[in-house]
Amino acid sequence: MIKNATVLTVTKGTLTNTDVLVSGGKISRIGKGLNAPNGVQEIDATGKFLMPGIIDAHSHIALSAVNEGTSQVTSEVQMGDVIDPFDVSIYRALAGGVTSTHALHGSANVIGGESETLKLRYGSTNPEDLKFENAPRTIKFALGENPTRGGRSRGIQPSSRMGVEAMLRNSFTDAQAYRAKWNAYKADKNPRKIAPEYDLRMETLVDILEGRVLVHCHSYRADEIYMLMKVFADFGITKLTYQHANEAYKVAPELAEFGAMASVFADWWAYKLEVYYSTAYNATILTRNGVTTSINSDSGELIRHLFHEAAKTQKYGDLTDEEALSLITLNPAKQLGIENRVGSIEVGKDADLALFEGHPLSVYAIPVMTFVDGVKYFDRANDIKDQRIYVNPEQAVENVTIFNREDQHRCMDTEVVSFEALFSNNK
Amino acid sequence: MKGAMKRVFQLIIIAIMVPLLSFGQEDDQVMKARGGKFALTNAKIYTVTNGIIENGTLLINNGIIEAVGANVKIPADAEVIDCKGKEIYPGMIDSGTKLGLSEIESIAEANDFSESGDLTPQMQALSAVNPNSVSIPVTRVSGVTTVWTAPAGGVLPGTAATINLFGYTPDQMFAGSKGIIMNFPSSGGGGRFRRRSPEEQAKAVERALKTVNDAWDKAELYAKIEGSGDVRDYPEIEALVPVVKGSMALFIEVNAAKDILTALEWIKKRGYKNVVLTGVAEGWRVADKIAEAKVPVVAGPVQAIPTRDSDAYDAAYANPAIMHKAGVKVAIRTGDTENVRNLPYHAGFAAAYGMGKEEALKAITINAAQILGVSDQIGSIEVGKKANVFVSTGDPFETATKITNVFIDGYLIPMTSQQIRLYDEFLNRTPGVKKNDPAIQIKKK
Amino acid sequence: MKLLSIKTIRAVFLLLISVASLSVKAQSDPTGQSAVTRTFAITNATVVQAPGKEIKEATVVIKNGLIEAVGTNLTIPNNAQVIDGKGMYVYSAFIDGLAYTGSKRPENVARPNNLFSPDPPNDYAGITPENSVLAQIDISSSTIGNMRKEGFAISHTVPYGRMLPGSGALILLGDKSHADEIMLMNDVSMFTQFAGAPGAYPGNVLGIMAKWRNLYRNAENNKKHYDAYTENPSGIERPERDRVTEAFFPVVTKQRPVVFDVAGVLEVQRAMSLQKDLGFKLIVGNVQQAWDIAPMLKNNGTGVFLSLDMPDMPKEAKGKDLEAMTEETKQLEARKMEFWKKYASQAAVLSAAGVKFGFSSLDATGNKIKANLMTMIENGLNESDALAALTINAASLLGIDKIAGTVEKGKTANLMVSNAPFFTKDAQIRYMFVDGDKYDLEIKEKKEAGKGNASEGSAAGAAAVVGSWTYSFETPQGETTGKMIIKNEGGTLTGSMTSGDGSGDVDMQDVTFVNGVLTFSISRDGGGQSIELVISGTVTGKTYNAEVTVSAFNFSTPLTATKDDGQ
Repeated sequence: MIKNATVLTVTKGTLTNTDVLVSGGKISRIGKGLNAPNGVQEIDATGKFLMPGIIDAHSHIALSAVNEGTSQVTSEVQMGDVIDPFDVSIYRALAGGVTSTHALHGSANVIGGESETLKLRYGSTNPEDLKFENAPRTIKFALGENPTRGGRSRGIQPSSRMGVEAMLRNSFTDAQAYRAKWNAYKADKNPRKIAPEYDLRMETLVDILEGRVLVHCHSYRADEIYMLMKVFADFGITKLTYQHANEAYKVAPELAEFGAMASVFADWWAYKLEVYYSTAYNATILTRNGVTTSINSDSGELIRHLFHEAAKTQKYGDLTDEEALSLITLNPAKQLGIENRVGSIEVGKDADLALFEGHPLSVYAIPVMTFVDGVKYFDRANDIKDQRIYVNPEQAVENVTIFNREDQHRCMDTEVVSFEALFSNNK
Repeated sequence: MKGAMKRVFQLIIIAIMVPLLSFGQEDDQVMKARGGKFALTNAKIYTVTNGIIENGTLLINNGIIEAVGANVKIPADAEVIDCKGKEIYPGMIDSGTKLGLSEIESIAEANDFSESGDLTPQMQALSAVNPNSVSIPVTRVSGVTTVWTAPAGGVLPGTAATINLFGYTPDQMFAGSKGIIMNFPSSGGGGRFRRRSPEEQAKAVERALKTVNDAWDKAELYAKIEGSGDVRDYPEIEALVPVVKGSMALFIEVNAAKDILTALEWIKKRGYKNVVLTGVAEGWRVADKIAEAKVPVVAGPVQAIPTRDSDAYDAAYANPAIMHKAGVKVAIRTGDTENVRNLPYHAGFAAAYGMGKEEALKAITINAAQILGVSDQIGSIEVGKKANVFVSTGDPFETATKITNVFIDGYLIPMTSQQIRLYDEFLNRTPGVKKNDPAIQIKKK
Repeated sequence: MKLLSIKTIRAVFLLLISVASLSVKAQSDPTGQSAVTRTFAITNATVVQAPGKEIKEATVVIKNGLIEAVGTNLTIPNNAQVIDGKGMYVYSAFIDGLAYTGSKRPENVARPNNLFSPDPPNDYAGITPENSVLAQIDISSSTIGNMRKEGFAISHTVPYGRMLPGSGALILLGDKSHADEIMLMNDVSMFTQFAGAPGAYPGNVLGIMAKWRNLYRNAENNKKHYDAYTENPSGIERPERDRVTEAFFPVVTKQRPVVFDVAGVLEVQRAMSLQKDLGFKLIVGNVQQAWDIAPMLKNNGTGVFLSLDMPDMPKEAKGKDLEAMTEETKQLEARKMEFWKKYASQAAVLSAAGVKFGFSSLDATGNKIKANLMTMIENGLNESDALAALTINAASLLGIDKIAGTVEKGKTANLMVSNAPFFTKDAQIRYMFVDGDKYDLEIKEKKEAGKGNASEGSAAGAAAVVGSWTYSFETPQGETTGKMIIKNEGGTLTGSMTSGDGSGDVDMQDVTFVNGVLTFSISRDGGGQSIELVISGTVTGKTYNAEVTVSAFNFSTPLTATKDDGQ
């Protein structure tokens, strides 16, 4: 039981001097002066702030591979196959109050692979232990410079934004034809019928058409954001969240009308041409225009202070405390379809909690404890420095890597590492 | 009739053209900076070197701080800005950026901080600064008034310069100091080759140091024999001579603990007096040695991943504080280009993780100015110093704090930038989703 | 796996025929290497019939490739060559569960001119499950003899390749002149690994997992189609011939297991999740991190071939070095040792969990196998479990327990004869019997100090590599040639590579030359990013046979170099 904290519920206001009882991995009671049942550990949180565990809707930590970049449509691949529970970034994210991440395919492909929603249960060697059980299926799409660069470097489509739209329409049309073929097969009463070719790529595209998979689309420019909504409208796809969407503010009314959501950076810009016309007021403009918005990190470094990133909307636009906190709790939960389980402190929800010294929106905030399913995974007072799960016995102890922002930001891939270029004689 | 109409028309135009005090602009009015005489009144003034004035006035005249105190007489012709409830600070100084040298990171043509070749210390960052970079207004409206902008890559990438973030030519921006950048041979980043031993790493560093030492040996020789007649015209080596003579500072980028120690020894052996270590990501491991050597450091970015997988998660946050407590003079940098505006947050994190607000503020004001060699002109609010100051609604480290006024070189800076203009245009877009909704349908044939 | 399959009978028959025809055709052998008789008797030895079953002062009689009799007080046939086994120990020869022994890396598939990377031809993508390793067997490969010297008589050899290189075969590690002569059983497994196509789909583990599912599910459907068509083609579309899908049919019916090369604990779990998804029979091989998943392996009934490779033991600091270490360094070093012990004791952990496992030499260096086994035993692996893994368990996992794995009458005469109990430090193998043929092994004298292969830094050793070499290797763009220049700078090896294509010199990094193996790395520009290439191989005289590995693309290709004249 967490005693006497200032509880930032996100949905039901701020409760001072309040206790939160956790039982069976769930939040079981919230109130003042609760009595802890026998044997329940009490944590004195006087003077501290309790908020829902932070959810990062765009992350590539805990993954052994990020892009299957050899094809422009790879809806058949699954990030769930490549979860890496050994990534120390997981612990460091916990130390920043994060309890869940959306492990995404990279942005090399127009249609990428299915992503995986994770709970940061650090310490296991079994990748399955990190999966957020029963979270809705999600998939990664990408528009703009990243997929077109891949096409240009290999002389294949798409090499321009026009080609991106064409590829999307072709893929969905192919999926409709595939579905028709299989529907015909299933309806066929002939006992000696032969199955059409099975194609996992098409199967997933059909699932998207039928609304079983939430689409998260890496995008930047206003025109491509608009384009996708039109394509989706034509094919009847409605569940859409834009990722990064630096120019989404320019088409905020359209997003609101479509019902699309957005997951954006607090203030990253200018690293590519398509983000040159960004504004740090993006999240504010979207929120004020009625678009459900979240702030993400897309970085193993930024994820550790998402609470600070969210606070930037109070500088760039005057969002209220609750609006700012929603950007990293309830809103990303909605975008991942897990808002019935996490994203706020309410009785019955999972006990994914983060305890802070100092209000989380203050720059001086220090996360001190993080719980996932009621289990404490981070405790600053008892922090052990070396959090590696496995150690390579042959690696030198002093293994220094100097921090380079680009290494952490996987969507910032500004160079396509080309196998062909490696051995090419055209230098 | 015509004349009267014209006058009415003119009055209307003038009315529209009255500059607004809030962000943004109306129609196509351009906001410009203004020089002159200003009195900032009723503010809490953080001088940094002379304590806090609870309710004070700051007088700016022709680019200089003319007076500061609780009882300052306000000249009649001064433009008065009432700062009641607000705070005034020296403009923040970022002692490590590439601001102005890179417009869009991914486009090679837009990047000017790195030249071909390993030994290019004569390359002048100052000349390549784009005074009209879109990032500059974006940065200064957040209270960062001055930055060190430096070349990168290779061993001796070039000469960096301190620039104020206001001016229409590099010379108008130049804030008074330059320095030679050197990337110290690094033992870090062993890559996937698992058999690389500490001995092999050390040997690699040794070999690289030889190249470095060759260059500096030549520079020392050059310093001795220049002017004697038979000296080769050698711009690369010439550029190093001011460091040898002590008239220009040498900024050494070095991060691994072992490398820092090697660098300190190297500095001692070569006897150069005016040296700064930058980066120092593992400075906390050898803080005592750095303090002993009396070498100042520029640390950052503070919001960074620890250098080793086995390090505590907050190693980078706590780094500046640990070095400071050991007696090292610390300035904080972002190391950034387009988001230098986040400098107060790097300092804020350093403050939260052991440095404390006061020291962290020094790290981005007076310490930075001292390390960059411009502390006679900026870095604190003192009479006679340049008027680089900003007015804020509260603690500038706190994320929600707004910066309301910025002065650079005594000019009141227009509180606008590309990002603010985009905010104004799109917060309530005209039209919204529906473009035209006429009552009468368009006639079709 | 059916023992009396047509293929096996055919193989044995061929063997007998070839032997018979030999005896009819060529009696004369000027090399003097042929055996006089195929009947042997090893007398008075300790025969370890199976783990935990020893017979002292026993005799083993071998005739025509089979074990004729084992026991005490046997009648020795008249025509037998008698070997005095006094003081010797006879074991069933070892079985290598997963190896490249005898297999030669084929030339890289040429990159098609208009490669469409999302949909490359199957052979470029490395999807060739229909191939058999037999096509790659190089009968003169020294690896066969090397493994035999380590006590192995049977190897489950698999082909080199990428995602689905082909089927593995069981080969006998004898010294023969034709691949057919060493083939015990062909097509015993479908070999697979997480190796992507070079710059084409599937490029990495993500694509490979999806491709696997796609291939398998289509194979299931196609098999139904084939079966229906075979039974009664009337009214059914003719199925298209597709070698790849046909190669999956025995896997779909679970007659043939899938053998996955998966070293790390995550990869093992990925293979297992694929198996749970699709339902094929799975054996994981070359496993190197099994200590945390032993219960999972047991519960899933997954077959395991544990790697015989071990990481180098971390050096423990002593004396002054130890005093100079900070607390932090001591803790970090302690963790390294803790994990080294996990690698060393995982075999014991598997045994304790009841997992039936064999061993694989895939990533191991031949001459370290015995030492690594001893390390595993020192760290808790029980000798009889070690022996079981090397013999009967491996046989059982590979489905050949009726003809191999123990010293019993009726089984193939594969024996290892050692001059002391095998799991003692100085024990040496004196004889190997492979398929009933005897091989004498030389006793190694104790190495004199300072002799043997050059070690890093020693002047004599460095001379072997210092100088100018001309190299060549195959890339997707064709052959690249140039010069390698290696120098010895005060004990440290440095070097540079020049390229014939006009690109500048590249410095060699981390050059090491240990035990005849020269290794170094270089960086090349891959479209703006620096990519590391690691080159490693053996120096024999003036020849350097190495491999260039680009781990960023999971690509490797052979490199050969010859020392320039006058060096």
